[in-house]
Parts: sequence; C-alpha cells; structure tokens
Amino acid sequence: MAANMNPQDTPAIEFEDVVAGYKDFMILNNLSFKVRPGSITLLIGPNGAGKSTVLKTLFGLLKPRGGRITLGGVDITAADPKTLLARGIAFVPQGRNLFGQLTVMQNLELGGITLGMKTARERIPEVLDLFPRVRERSNSQASALSGGEQKQLEIGRALLLRPKVLLIDEPSIGLSPLVVQDVFKLLRKLAAGGTTILMVEQNVKSALKISDDAIALESGRLVLHKPASELLADPHIERLFLGGAIETRAA
Amino acid sequence: MTDFLQLFFSGMATGSIYALAALGFTLLWQASGTINFAQGEFVMLPAFAMVGLIAAGAPLPLAFVLTVVLAIGVLGWAFKRGVVDPLFRHGMMPIVVATIGLSIALSNGVRAGYSAEAHPFAGMFPDRIFNIAGVTITLADCGTLAFALLLVLATQSFLARTVTGRAMQAVAQNTESATVLGINVPRMIFYTFAINAALACAAALLVTPVYLAKFDMGVSLGTKAFFAAVIGGFNNSRGALLGGVIVGVGENLAAAYVSPQYKDAVALALFMVVILFKPQGLLGRKEERKV
Repeated sequence: MAANMNPQDTPAIEFEDVVAGYKDFMILNNLSFKVRPGSITLLIGPNGAGKSTVLKTLFGLLKPRGGRITLGGVDITAADPKTLLARGIAFVPQGRNLFGQLTVMQNLELGGITLGMKTARERIPEVLDLFPRVRERSNSQASALSGGEQKQLEIGRALLLRPKVLLIDEPSIGLSPLVVQDVFKLLRKLAAGGTTILMVEQNVKSALKISDDAIALESGRLVLHKPASELLADPHIERLFLGGAIETRAA
Repeated sequence: MTDFLQLFFSGMATGSIYALAALGFTLLWQASGTINFAQGEFVMLPAFAMVGLIAAGAPLPLAFVLTVVLAIGVLGWAFKRGVVDPLFRHGMMPIVVATIGLSIALSNGVRAGYSAEAHPFAGMFPDRIFNIAGVTITLADCGTLAFALLLVLATQSFLARTVTGRAMQAVAQNTESATVLGINVPRMIFYTFAINAALACAAALLVTPVYLAKFDMGVSLGTKAFFAAVIGGFNNSRGALLGGVIVGVGENLAAAYVSPQYKDAVALALFMVVILFKPQGLLGRKEERKV
C-alpha cells in the first residue's frame, strides 16, 4: 500500500492493525500503514479522523489497545515517551508548547534533558544556527517571542535530540503564510538530511507540495496512501480532507 | 516611631513564618493544581513530631532533621499518593474538600490521640535583646526572619537555577509539553510535595517556640498563609513572601493601634481588598486555564 516503497526496505514507521482510543471510544480502527525512511509523510482527513491520535499513539501518549507499531523494524508498541525519545522519535504537538516563563535558552536545555545537560548544551549552538531569529533572542522569555519564533523554538527544541523520526502536529496554526513557508522549508531540509517526518497539517495544499507521501484517514481507517504529487494533481483533493470522500457518492 | 518600628520588625518575623507556609501553597498550586487546606496542620504535625523527639531525648537539630525526613514521607509522598493522585482526575474541588477533611481529621486526631494541651520546645535562638536607636529587637525575631528569608530565597534559586528546578517549573507551566520532552513529570510533582513538607517543618521549627505546639495551631496559621498566598499572588513564589510579610506586619500594627481583638481580622480584610481590586494578587499574573 505504501507509495514508492521497495518491498525489501525496512519502513521507518509501521502501523499494523493498530486500535487506539479513549475509554470505550476507539479512534483508530485497525489502522495499518508504512512510512518510508527519510520521507515527509502527510496525514490528512476530516476532523476526528484520527490524525493527531496517530501521532499520540506513536509517541506513547496513548496506549494502543491492539495491533503493533514498529520503528525501523523494532517493536515500540508499549513504549513510553521517554523510551521513544531515546530511540530517536521526537514530537512537536499542536498549539503552544513552550514554557513561557523560562528563557529561550532554558527551553532548549529542557529539550535535551534526556541527553544530560553537557550534551544538550553542546548541541544548542547547532540548533540555533538553524534559527537566527531565535538565536538573537536566546535570553528572552519564551513568551515574548512571536508566534513564528515560538514554533521555530519548539521545533529546535525537538531537533536537539537529533531525531531519526520527527512527529509534528499542525505546525502552521497561528503562523503567517511567510513563516509557514520557512517552517516547511526547514522540514524539507531535515528530510533531505535523512530525518523521517510524519506531519498532520490542515494547510493541505501547501503541505502536500513539500511532502513525499500522503496518507488519508477516515474514521480511524486508512482510505488512501499515495505519493503527494499524485494527490496534488487530483481534482477531487478537497473531498479527501473535508470528509465523506473516497467513494463516489450518488448525487 | 520607635514603637512602630518595633512592631514592624516583629511583624516581619511572624510574617516570614506565614511566608514559608504560603510558599508551600503556591508551589503545590503551580506544580499540581492542588490547594491544600490542611497546610496549617502540615505545620502542626511536624511541631508535635519535634516535641515528641525532643521529649525522647533528641537534641533540637537532630529532631528537626528526623522530622523533615518523616514529613517528606508522610506529608509529601503519602499525601500525594493517598489523597491527591486518586482525586486529581476529578478536578480541583474534590481535592479542596478532601484537604479540608484531612485538616479536621489531623487536628482532632492529635487532640484525641496525643494531647489537647499546648506543648513548648525551646527555640534555636538564645534569649537576647538588642537595642538599636531605641528600638528593641529580639535575637529570636532576627533569627526567625533571617532563617525564613534564607529558606524562601534558597527555594527560589533552586527553582530558577538548577535543571531540576526548571524542570519542575516546566511541569507547572505545561505538563503535556514536559511529558513530550521526557521530563519525569510524577517525580517533579513529588519534589514539589517534598519541598512543601520540608518548608512546613521549618515553619514549625520557627513558630512553635513562640506560639507552642497545639492541636489547633494549624487553623489560624493555615488560613493566614492561604490569605498571604492570595494577597501576594498565588502563582508567584515571591508573592508568597510579600503576602506573608504584609499579613504579619499588618496584624501586629492593628493589634497595637486598633485593638488586639481585630488582629486576626487583618489578614481577612487585606485578602478581601486584594480579591476585589487585584484578584491575581500583588505580584501574580492573570492566568488562563483550560476547562
């Protein structure tokens, strides 16, 4: 099912029949897909389709009720976030995730808390090189940064771990179109460096332009998995993320 | 004028004790959204523990250290595991009601199970009096003020300057984000409860030589510390210090210049004024919470 995937390649991420949800309400229903290493894969689908739940389940914030999740062939189904960070997954959740009353530098240091402070501090300059605007303000309170700078800092904080897999949920929310383009360019650059990126994004058309593959979900099930370029060329693309999509509807 | 300065200074010493208990209020609130209405009893229990240990022959410093260790276990760990953790997912109100119940149970438990009498123990500062430009100051007041200030400042610099302290702040500001970065959230919250327990022991050490250990000592202490925390700003640990000192000085001045009967009303009056005109407290920030 995975787009452009060589059958013998080990996928960076694989979901096999994953069931996950809250209490009695399952959001992911036997979801299976594979993500190619070093690709940007975009998760699309209507609200409530389970896109963010995929990221939360993958990152161990939500325990799957069934199925199996592997990372580079290694089973990580029951792992907690701390173990997953050590395995090279980092997660940038939706919304504002900084510690507003700490400085930019202190936020970055906490991003590397699982590495130990020595390593974290050694890596901070390389992260700041990616974000000159953030570097200029490294001693400011994080809450004093603009929305775009805050998102850059959040991504920078995740990159401190030099993740193999980056999960990112709605990076463009609240950002101006120009800043969104900067964020997308950065993601492209990271993927070119070998980082696998799994992204949820409402701004589907712009996001598809920088993505390699797209996975469409509906009611927690996979409805489509194909190269982003093909989807972009599809005249019915809107239906996919507005819902009620794939089957041709009787008029 | 000398009277005023004298009252002001001894008020600051009492206020610094309120500040220690108030700091515990703000720490627990910030780290875990818990308002602990048994905070006064969290000072009363260590006071009795020290009374008991001293009666058993332990010197005061040893009694204090043992009490801190015990308090971290009982008022820190057991309180968190037994009361806060099970109720946390039901929201703040059940915790508030549970801690009010705990406060009644603890004070009456001590009255029924140990003693209804007031028990003294000697303070750590010798009885000495200084006279500076006509103002009489006791060594105990100086020592109390210095010791309490030192503890408040030490707690603050621990939170601000160490990685663990910042991780605790991170948990208080955004728990989900802290989890995502791999910060050990339950451990950081436990540290807050442990610090609160240790501060309560310090307050007990300072308050008991003056006000004696009694089963109901926590009632007024806890209420005043709560008012002090609100006056200073519930989400600011510096505010706890300011609020504590304002309440301590205010009630001392009211007792002398208005009437001793109104002493205990001062904290309540200040509290009401602050709630009306600056509900976030003098140093607090306005806060938005997800409902």
